[in-house]
Amino acid sequence: MRRLMALLCLAAMPAAAQSPFPVAIGGPYSLTDQFGQTRTQADPDGRAQLVFFGYANCLNICSAALPLMAQVVDDLAADGIAVTPVMITVAPDQDTVETMGAPLAEIHPDFIGLTGDTQALQVAYDAFSVEVEPLFQDPEYGWIYSHGSFLHLLDGDGDTLTLLPPVLDVTQAAQIARSYLTPQS
Amino acid sequence: MRSLIIAALAALALPGAGHAAEGTRVQVTGEIIDTWCYYSGVMGSPDAVVGSAHHTCALWCSAGGIPVGLLAEDGTVYMVLKVEDDAQAAGGDTLLRLAAHTVEADGMLYERDGLNYLVVSDVVSDQDITNVNHNDYGNVPSFSIPDPNK
Repeated sequence: MRRLMALLCLAAMPAAAQSPFPVAIGGPYSLTDQFGQTRTQADPDGRAQLVFFGYANCLNICSAALPLMAQVVDDLAADGIAVTPVMITVAPDQDTVETMGAPLAEIHPDFIGLTGDTQALQVAYDAFSVEVEPLFQDPEYGWIYSHGSFLHLLDGDGDTLTLLPPVLDVTQAAQIARSYLTPQS
Repeated sequence: MRSLIIAALAALALPGAGHAAEGTRVQVTGEIIDTWCYYSGVMGSPDAVVGSAHHTCALWCSAGGIPVGLLAEDGTVYMVLKVEDDAQAAGGDTLLRLAAHTVEADGMLYERDGLNYLVVSDVVSDQDITNVNHNDYGNVPSFSIPDPNK
């Protein structure tokens, strides 16, 4: 019976099946946004999403990836394509419901920050094959983390459409995203 | 040179949306590079942000999570999704060990959105750092090795 249950659970896991690559990239999660609301992989308004794993005060790749996301969102919005930028924190000690909203809003007013308890975050990391490792403690900024840095383009249901390497420029990244999305009427 | 790289990448990024990617088994020989510095140009010319000149920075970038690439001998850049048992595209022990090294990689190529993604199943050979260019460029960027006097 236990084996049957395990098989049923495995069969119900969409993560690997929905990945466009032979690596788990996408799947269900349930976290808390900066407004204290529960948010899953599905956008409540059915909008497409750009999802990145990082932290709000990260000075490394996030300082490039988060503004890139904002610019891509604006570029697509000009074509009538609504996309929500989402950051899932890898540093829940630093990014709390109370603190993560303000720095993200400076990057883009629509930015959603997501945090949660260790278990809930690990579900999201595992779904997207994101490894998180504390590297060292900066005396000014706190812990510095190593973490995956691809941008994930998700549809409104939370299914992964494709990856965007954070090294692309805005035009290239928007062009790829645009090829998966259609303007809303 | 940088504009040539940008143009080549832009040209690659044009085809329509990819769907479930079909992989092709490939063997590629090239250098494991730091894709951020290679494409952004912020740290120097493409020739300077590879090899021994850029080894330290490549370690920092990989440790920070920036995806690594494999710069093949023909100039093609493959975005590395995974190497052997490391479950990440940057920062893992294997990728840190291989930063700036020339390797022969056996794996699966997934062409998607005009980009080349590589899942390396086996590093067939690791030739260490073969692009010894620090005599030409110094350490790029110089601040990647902290000044012990500061």
